[in-house]
Amino acid sequence: MITIENLSVAFDGTEVVKHVSLQLEDGEILGVVGESGSGKSVTALTLMGLAPAAAQVTSGRILYDDVVLQEAGRPCDKALYEKYQGARMSMVFQEPMTSLNPTKRVGGQVEEVLKLHTKLAKEESRSRVLETFAAVGLHDAEKVYASYPHQLSGGMRQRVMIAMAVILHPGLIVADEPTTALDVTIQNQIIALLQEINQKQKNAMLFITHDLNLAKRLCQKIAVMKDGCVVEYGTGEEIFGNPRQAYTKELIEAVPSRLKKRRILKAPSNMADEMNVGIPKAPSNMADEMNAGMPKASVNMAKRKITGTLHSAEQGSSILQVRNLSVFYQEGSNSLFSRNKKRCVVSGAEFDIYSGESLGLVGESGCGKTSLSKAILGMNRDIQGNIIHHSLRPQMIFQDPYSSLNPAKTIGWLLQEPLRAAGALDKSLAMTKADMETAAYDMLRRVGMGEKYFHRKPSQLSGGQRQRVSIAQALITNPGFIVADEPVSALDVTIQAQIMELLQQLQQEMKLSCLFISHDINVVYQMCDRIMIMKEGRIIEIGETEEIFHHPREEYTQLLLCNS
Amino acid sequence: MKYFGKKLITLIMTLFLVSVAAFLAFQVIPGDVVTSILGTEATPEREEQLREELGLNDPPAVRYFHWITGVLQGDLGVSYRYSKNMNEMMPVAELIGDKLPVTLWLAAVSLVFIVAVSIPLGVLWAGLSDAAHGRRGGMLARVGHILDAALGVVTQATMAVPSFFLGILVTYLLGIVLGLFAPGGYVSYQENFAGFLVYLIFPALSIAIPKIAMTSRFLRNSMLTELSADYVRTAYSKGTSKRRVMYGHVLRNAMMPVVTFLGMIVAEIVAGSIVVEQVFGLPGIGRLLISSISTRDFPVVEILILYITFVVIFVYFLVDILYRVIDPRISGT
Amino acid sequence: MKQSGSGKWNKYFVAGLFMTGLAVLLGIVGFFWTPYSTTEMSAAEKFAAPSMQHLFGTDNFGRDIFSRVMQGLGTTISISSLVVLCSGSVGILLGAVTGYFGGLLDEVVMRITDALNGFPSILLTLVIISVLGSGRQNVIISLGLVFVPSFVRIVRSEFIRLRDMDYIKRARLMGVGKLRILFVHILPNIFSVFWVSVMIGFNNAILAESGMSYLGIGVQPPDASLGKMLSDAQGYLQSAPWYALAPGLTIVWVVLGFSLFSEGIRRNQ
Repeated sequence: MITIENLSVAFDGTEVVKHVSLQLEDGEILGVVGESGSGKSVTALTLMGLAPAAAQVTSGRILYDDVVLQEAGRPCDKALYEKYQGARMSMVFQEPMTSLNPTKRVGGQVEEVLKLHTKLAKEESRSRVLETFAAVGLHDAEKVYASYPHQLSGGMRQRVMIAMAVILHPGLIVADEPTTALDVTIQNQIIALLQEINQKQKNAMLFITHDLNLAKRLCQKIAVMKDGCVVEYGTGEEIFGNPRQAYTKELIEAVPSRLKKRRILKAPSNMADEMNVGIPKAPSNMADEMNAGMPKASVNMAKRKITGTLHSAEQGSSILQVRNLSVFYQEGSNSLFSRNKKRCVVSGAEFDIYSGESLGLVGESGCGKTSLSKAILGMNRDIQGNIIHHSLRPQMIFQDPYSSLNPAKTIGWLLQEPLRAAGALDKSLAMTKADMETAAYDMLRRVGMGEKYFHRKPSQLSGGQRQRVSIAQALITNPGFIVADEPVSALDVTIQAQIMELLQQLQQEMKLSCLFISHDINVVYQMCDRIMIMKEGRIIEIGETEEIFHHPREEYTQLLLCNS
Repeated sequence: MKYFGKKLITLIMTLFLVSVAAFLAFQVIPGDVVTSILGTEATPEREEQLREELGLNDPPAVRYFHWITGVLQGDLGVSYRYSKNMNEMMPVAELIGDKLPVTLWLAAVSLVFIVAVSIPLGVLWAGLSDAAHGRRGGMLARVGHILDAALGVVTQATMAVPSFFLGILVTYLLGIVLGLFAPGGYVSYQENFAGFLVYLIFPALSIAIPKIAMTSRFLRNSMLTELSADYVRTAYSKGTSKRRVMYGHVLRNAMMPVVTFLGMIVAEIVAGSIVVEQVFGLPGIGRLLISSISTRDFPVVEILILYITFVVIFVYFLVDILYRVIDPRISGT
Repeated sequence: MKQSGSGKWNKYFVAGLFMTGLAVLLGIVGFFWTPYSTTEMSAAEKFAAPSMQHLFGTDNFGRDIFSRVMQGLGTTISISSLVVLCSGSVGILLGAVTGYFGGLLDEVVMRITDALNGFPSILLTLVIISVLGSGRQNVIISLGLVFVPSFVRIVRSEFIRLRDMDYIKRARLMGVGKLRILFVHILPNIFSVFWVSVMIGFNNAILAESGMSYLGIGVQPPDASLGKMLSDAQGYLQSAPWYALAPGLTIVWVVLGFSLFSEGIRRNQ
């Protein structure tokens, strides 16, 4: 049994964990849920004796059965911990890609645990490792034993990490976001494995996650943390059924889920008609821009060697038509000597995006969704088939808010740059300095940010604020169509909800069409009118959101749905 | 295997290009070689005869061909400056022959110093700075902090000393003040090999000291980077002691960039020896190179450049192979 | 609490600024005025030890070493500045174009810079000097050429890193022109890295210039130079060690100053 009593941890005098008390019974899984900076990881690392040197326990203590592991006012007892770590307590980390030593064979790395804590002979420990590999679902254990980490997939590496953690049947396993870096289907297998181990070995498990749904599924008890404090502590039913704290409520509501009502319900079947009417009513400046831009767009298309005609009058309903599109990817080094191999990453994609609608694109990593979006935006020219745009200069919103704004410029400059670029390309669109500034201030306001940010640099903004600026920059020229590549995946849940709301609101205001890419089918459910499922470079299913969710045709879609 | 073949071809290609460049560079030089050898008072007949002898009347491509085939067969040409006696010209091979061992031994002794000192020093230093910012705190951390900072200052200052000035400092402090060796008292390796090696210690020190500072700094930083890697945390979570983490996990990964770095250092040792031979009056090829440049003795310069290039490229080739042996991420699959 | 050694005015930056500032100042003043004539000989004052009259003592001709060091500093710093200016600007242009566009030009330039980079720079300088002959102008040309590859490499790798950043992809989608992307969007982001390499280049230029004049193949008299002073002084180490120490320690002072300076800039990032 693990007892954390009134634990506070401080870095350089600032407390990041405040008076946390938790108790973990054997055979029980305790979920610790919180957003980044909530102190959940520091709590776990302190428990494991792995906290950075600067961390100091300022109050309380940690007990393992009756042994005091940590106590306020006493430095972390390394010698004691070295006996416990690996043998009686172990940890599974978030990043399977970097958590194993890249230059040692994984078998040896797992065996090291036995070498450190037991007196087993070489042969015995080897067979013990092989047994454990088999037990955590690594088939061909012999081969895995002799492999280097880079030869294994992410899921396999995480299984190796788990093997390392469970090989000595420790009384406590700490799992710090063990599935966050993995694909949905793999995620589920790993969760099932952890559950199975917990039931078999009857050890206490501390499961740290940002995902409230996951915690509810897996854990007997949940502690919700915010700013270093445990704000709510109870069983899953208690917390979801009757959250006592406003923050918990907010957190539950922020989690995208198909059990909740979608904010905006459009009827896609009527959309085409609606939009035919809608288009002429677009703001006058936008219409001008579009008209002025059209011939240019067609020139660009020609350059991209995409055949296609622009019949915006007859086909006003669709803003993008993709016909029999295949996208290729150059493999191998960029050398004069070696011939490059071409690999087809998207094949036979065919779909339309109607104006004003948002189409969700769902798939696991490596399925080709990013390649498809790049091809659509002309960032990858190595394609076959047709892409027909009915919008001028579609824009893109990226996942990582930290790399999507130029760090050398101010927010004001960044917002005006699209206008300057448009003016430079087409003199009729050129604006005066004052007009551009007004437009930039206006756009800043529309994404919910104050004027004071105009002269700041991106480094002075938070992740959510940066994503707002990114959105503003993408929309300031009123592009009509944007591609959003996982725009909320890097954000905390509550921020995620705000950005999704902002996107939906702007989409309505600006009659914007959107290709919304995500690995999270629940986010897509909230955001999109129609959904497209991609697997191994092919679009396997496309349909209206409700339809897909309630009557998925493909087995893979069903798998995705039940895994999330 | 295929990779090594490819590398070998690149190596030969590079050497070929360098040989062409070295040859061509000295074709564009103003001034007539024949006049500079014979002086202005020679008869036109004598000039013509020499021109024919040296093959200067052929077109450049033919001359390059003659030169390079000669080089490949061991005929390195003749010096314009030195002569054996009144009638016989000095072959470059002979000129270089007895100077080569001096330079090679100097480089070898320097490299031994560098590797023997900088690797333990770098590891120790990384341990100190890890302790200074480390997990335990207390006395060790404070001592570690002071030593860490001191090593930082000392190495930074050392790297700022140019090798020729360091040579002069070594001569002054170890030679004149402490009297450990007689400056200018070079002992030929043919006469007394042990004495030769002892004398070499001092020039080798002048080459090695700044490189030791650089390499140990590099290794220290490399180890500290590795110490903050995720897999180190995993190792600690298994109950691994700090010592075991340092030597069992971190050192090997940290050494990989150091191997490349040491390859570059070898190239720099060769370059450094050119200057240091001058300071200590060592009759090596570096000194010959400088004097040949001053006297415009181009056949000698060409051969020396080709030779030094070969050494440098070959060292890079070896480093590349070594790297593949120790890094499973590259050698595997 | 702010950790020492970080922040705009960290101790490296201040120390480096002081050391380089003093050296540059002395060098510039040395162009116009020195405490004593640098050519006038005086048998009476031959090998005077450092004193209040002669800060660094006098040499074998009774000339004031401090005055000669000032002039030598001027030569060294002006040559190094020109070298870094030339190779730095060529490096930016070539690095930006090859890094951003890639392709055949990139391939060719990289093969050449790779080959040159592996080559000990002093050797290459020697080749060029032996072709062109020694002297101030040729020193600048040869060092300028030799230093180009290192700048190309650094600028190029930064451009390659940044050209695939999301914000540059977005600038392309906006239709921003290529030149504007290169020099308005990307260039400001590489300056911090570039300044460090300029400082390192400066150091290498100073070391190379003084090394060449030490070997007698650098600038030629009447141009004053620290390296030449060192080689002159080597014969008098026993009787007048200050003659060698003065120019030698001056070089160390400048080089150390620049490396502290670059360390300070690096830590500011």
